[in-house]
Amino acid sequence: MHSSELISEGINLMLFGMGFVFVFLTLLVAVTSFMSATVNKLVKPAPEATNKPAPVSAPAAGNDELIAVMTAAVHKYRSGK
Amino acid sequence: MEQLLSLWQGSGLYNMGLGQLTMIFICLLLLYLAIVKNFEPLLLVPIGFGGLLANIPEAGLALSAAEQAIHFAKPEVLAAIAQAIDVNTTDPEALKHLVHEQGPSAYAAAQAVAQDAGYTNGMLYSFYSVAIGSTIAPLLIFMGVGAMTDFGPLLANPKTLFLGAAAQFGIFATVLGAVGMSALGIMDFSVEQAAAIGIIGGADGPTSIYVASLLAPELLGAIAVASYSYMALVPLIQPPIMRALTTPEERKIQMVQLRTVSKAEKVIFPISLLILVALLLPDAAPLLGMFCFGNLMKESGVVDRLSDTAQNALINIVTIFLGLSVGSKLVADKFLALETLGIMALGIVAFGIGTASGVLMAKIMNKVTKTPVNPLIGSAGVSAVPMAARVSNKLGLEYNPHNFLLMHAMGPNVAGVIGSAVAAGVMIKYLGG
Repeated sequence: MHSSELISEGINLMLFGMGFVFVFLTLLVAVTSFMSATVNKLVKPAPEATNKPAPVSAPAAGNDELIAVMTAAVHKYRSGK
Repeated sequence: MEQLLSLWQGSGLYNMGLGQLTMIFICLLLLYLAIVKNFEPLLLVPIGFGGLLANIPEAGLALSAAEQAIHFAKPEVLAAIAQAIDVNTTDPEALKHLVHEQGPSAYAAAQAVAQDAGYTNGMLYSFYSVAIGSTIAPLLIFMGVGAMTDFGPLLANPKTLFLGAAAQFGIFATVLGAVGMSALGIMDFSVEQAAAIGIIGGADGPTSIYVASLLAPELLGAIAVASYSYMALVPLIQPPIMRALTTPEERKIQMVQLRTVSKAEKVIFPISLLILVALLLPDAAPLLGMFCFGNLMKESGVVDRLSDTAQNALINIVTIFLGLSVGSKLVADKFLALETLGIMALGIVAFGIGTASGVLMAKIMNKVTKTPVNPLIGSAGVSAVPMAARVSNKLGLEYNPHNFLLMHAMGPNVAGVIGSAVAAGVMIKYLGG
């Protein structure tokens, strides 16, 4: 009698425990996927915003020189044709 | 002449019992395995040496003041202790057990009587009560593990959490095995003890020690030794099971390159995990709370000093005390029992079942999902970070030299840590509360 109680206690623990572990980790999968999706949506504009000024400001310094080089290149390409 | 005789009678050789001698040999074996065979030396060296210290006859390093007083058996002290814990016998052997069975307040009274009589707690006993009795050491180790863990692979492929969940089946199957053995009359485990033994299947040392210290402190020595020695044996235990359950074609499956994970995701993950724990399973909060805290320190990048301490200096200090404290439980009357053999046998079964269920779950995932899943990564669902992931990688390379599974296996590997902590929380909730 006592031993069957022990076994049923063990089976209960197994079903309850395994069930809970799966429920918990399934929720964690959902939460994690949701979190990643949200974060990637929200965070992506940020690096773009910080990236944009960089290319704009960098050429600003050597703008004239760059245009000169580019026109020269275009000229050469056209004349070569 | 009389002085010589008393010196002889006070010597270790004179007082050496057969049990103590056996335990000293077992501890020397642990030291041999650690030093020569390189079995988890960071833990088995302190554990083995702590065991040697605990078994020095008459020194009583692992005994509390009350146990020492009973051991030396002065009649007037025995009578006072018997009165303090409210029993009628003054037989030392009977008192040894009774002093632990009358509840914490009676034990405290016995301690007070013994200390009045001039006995003090042994060194290892003090280590044990500070490090493990208070549950501080396993929790600090968990914090350090958190600070070392990279959740990147898991965040890149959250589905691998299912593998970490499946591998926990080993834990619960072993609980059933342990109560089954008691029901058949082979062993005598209570449900609490069975749960503590099952956790060995989580392949997670600090979790096993934490659960054992709460549910079955009397088995802690055997459980810790089984848990750490099997962790060292992961590269031997897992591959045959993984080969048996997979076909060569499955072992060759290449997995899709993992996406890169942004820093923001890594910072938010430990917090969202903690919130989920707080909402669903507060009993796992000590373990997973410290784990998340350690991980947040690492990923936030603003407290590098703290994170560096947690994963290096602090974890090393704690490991020393944890090992010596576990060693204090390697005393003959608790360790030299049939139960220890049962624990060793059940532990390896737990490991095997955990590995097998992880692999089977990975096979199912490979069938169900569109992206290919190599079943070899399933075995990494039993924690044992990073050893289990390395085993998956090595086996994968054997069958396809261009198939690097390490990063893919790290996902289920850290999922296994979370899974076994959740399983531990469930058991504590179910049995302790």
